[in-house]
Amino acid sequence: MKPMRRYSTREAVDFAVIGAGAAGGVVASELAKAGFSTVVLEQGPWLQQKDFAHDELAVMQRSLYINDHRKQPNTFRRRPEEQAKVQPAIEYARMVGGGSVHFTANYWRFHPNDFRERSLFGGVPGADLRDWPIPYDELEPYYTRAEWELGIAGQAGANPFDGPRSKPYPLPPLPVKSSGVLLDRAAKKLGLHSYPAPMAILSQPYRGRAACSECGYCEAFGCEMGAKSSTLAALIPGAVATGNCEIRPHSYVQRIETGADGRVNGVLYCDARRRTLRQRAKAVVVCANGAETPRLLLLSASKQHPQGLANGNGLVGKYLMFDTGIFVHGVFAKPLNEYKGAVVSRVIQDYYAADPKRGFYGGAGLDARYDLYPMTFALDGMPKDEPQWGAEWKKNIGYRYTRMMGILAHLSCLAVERNSISLDPEVKDAWGLPAIRVTFENHADDLKNMQWAADRSKEVLDAAGAEKIWQDKVASMTYSLHLMGTCRMGDDPRHSVVNRWHRSHDVKNLFLVDGSSLVTCGRQQPTATIQALAFRAAEHMAKAARNGELA
Amino acid sequence: MAAATCWQQVWAAAQQPPPRFRSFTEPEAAEIAALAETILPEDDGTPGAKTAGVIRFIDAALAGHDEHKRPLYRTGLQQVQQQRRALFPDSSSIAALLTDQRIALLRAVEDTPFFSQLRRHTVMGFFCHPKYGGNRDQVGWKHIGFEPKMHHHHPFGAYEQEPE
Repeated sequence: MKPMRRYSTREAVDFAVIGAGAAGGVVASELAKAGFSTVVLEQGPWLQQKDFAHDELAVMQRSLYINDHRKQPNTFRRRPEEQAKVQPAIEYARMVGGGSVHFTANYWRFHPNDFRERSLFGGVPGADLRDWPIPYDELEPYYTRAEWELGIAGQAGANPFDGPRSKPYPLPPLPVKSSGVLLDRAAKKLGLHSYPAPMAILSQPYRGRAACSECGYCEAFGCEMGAKSSTLAALIPGAVATGNCEIRPHSYVQRIETGADGRVNGVLYCDARRRTLRQRAKAVVVCANGAETPRLLLLSASKQHPQGLANGNGLVGKYLMFDTGIFVHGVFAKPLNEYKGAVVSRVIQDYYAADPKRGFYGGAGLDARYDLYPMTFALDGMPKDEPQWGAEWKKNIGYRYTRMMGILAHLSCLAVERNSISLDPEVKDAWGLPAIRVTFENHADDLKNMQWAADRSKEVLDAAGAEKIWQDKVASMTYSLHLMGTCRMGDDPRHSVVNRWHRSHDVKNLFLVDGSSLVTCGRQQPTATIQALAFRAAEHMAKAARNGELA
Repeated sequence: MAAATCWQQVWAAAQQPPPRFRSFTEPEAAEIAALAETILPEDDGTPGAKTAGVIRFIDAALAGHDEHKRPLYRTGLQQVQQQRRALFPDSSSIAALLTDQRIALLRAVEDTPFFSQLRRHTVMGFFCHPKYGGNRDQVGWKHIGFEPKMHHHHPFGAYEQEPE
């Protein structure tokens, strides 16, 4: 393979992309293939398959792949009137490939109704539920594109609640696990529709990549086989091979710079040796996730943009949506060994749609899994009303580990204006930049939905024959891995940060593409939608650049 | 003569076994190990924290990644010793307590930050990759039926084969 093309920082490249994750990897690869010079600034390292290992201590307990809260602290408060305290509240993968490297690999499309829930359901007091500016049909070709470019396994038509699709999945579903067999059995009894999980994991070799070896280390880990369809495995090599794309790992962006004309013209960042460098660029695409993207915009305040970039209306960072869900645990008579293989093999979406008859807004997608690794299982896996140490506890963990299966209910999270990412006035990160301040409290409907979904999950586990069932506590979320909604997309510049093409309403050569664009969050599992949007946005950016709109 | 004396000293020093712990004195290590064994005891013939080498893991963690937690261990162990003397005035050490006494002692401190950290470290040392010094001979993984493999083959569990 040719060595990677390097660009001078003084040369104004066509695009500087900030963040090489699920969205940034797609955008960079599409722009490079379209012939544009692209520099990708990624704060984390560029790991390869050989660097990944089955080391729960390093990965789960010592922040090997994620933002290290010791270097990148955040503060947290539930409401704006409270004093925020240092308390880890957000998590994202910090490496080339980003969250697409370490995610569980559930790859759910949003439903057509997700894009028009305000029209269908009506307004919710205390929240700002809105329709998207684009319908499902407009995004559908890009969902298909994402599924084929990345390599998604699934069975088209198996989920009766899915929207129409123009093409089947490129790969057949992964084999069913014991949890899947039990979910199928329960669904049949309850009149529900379980179906093979769509997963970003190769069930067969695909485009030069190996199939899954069923080692079981998907969630939170990187895939040694390259079988997980991350942008790292599926797109970055091709992007680099175009000769138009330079990936620059260990590049911690401090601010985006603005010229006298109010347009952005470069990016200031700190490299691995702590030198401050300036990459000039004709256009900037921020793909830094729903927490870091708004933070960077706020850090980039200037004479031209005193409230922060793209923030003329003050909405940057607002409407933060958290990864809201609830887990119900089940113990079965015989071993399932759920730790083996891809995490999820069957899903139920019968409860997905919001229904006014329930008396609250919300819905749930249920998947069958048991995703606790040994250490995490022993630390947190047993019900809180049982002993947590000593002989009885040890006996319980010994008996149950292989016999557990749970239902994870992936839930809605209403967009509430006061839930936000802002700059902490006091706390700084290891680079001396203001830390992220998270303000978050679930809307009351989210909490009602949580208990309702836990009750549905219990019915499912009961129908599946579980011997013992318990649920996690219903409480407002204080920690999230999906960071969404903080630079929402919309046609009206008064109520949104980017337009339907992810272009800032205020700054014509600035694009924001990641979870921050989401208007609603579906039932979590946002990666497919973020990536479909990224394919669509990149196509538009390339068109705009060709038309001379960005020069 | 001077050179010979010097070599004699070096030789004499080399005959001493190296300290077994980097973060603890020998007596401290014995006390922490006794507490860890109470959290994860050998029971019904299944190995506990001691057999798994949990103390080795904790010692290494406090000399590396978790060095900043040493003060918590120092003050925490002092508090537990105070508690021990209050509960069992005739006792000489945690390690010398009877099993039931050690359980009673831990019950008395289980809401403290030190206990919570010690439980965490004990579990980590029991289930970590053996390269970290704990989970010796994979006793932790064997206890819960976890087989670390790069390739697993279907059927994984009993229900994949079961007729409906």
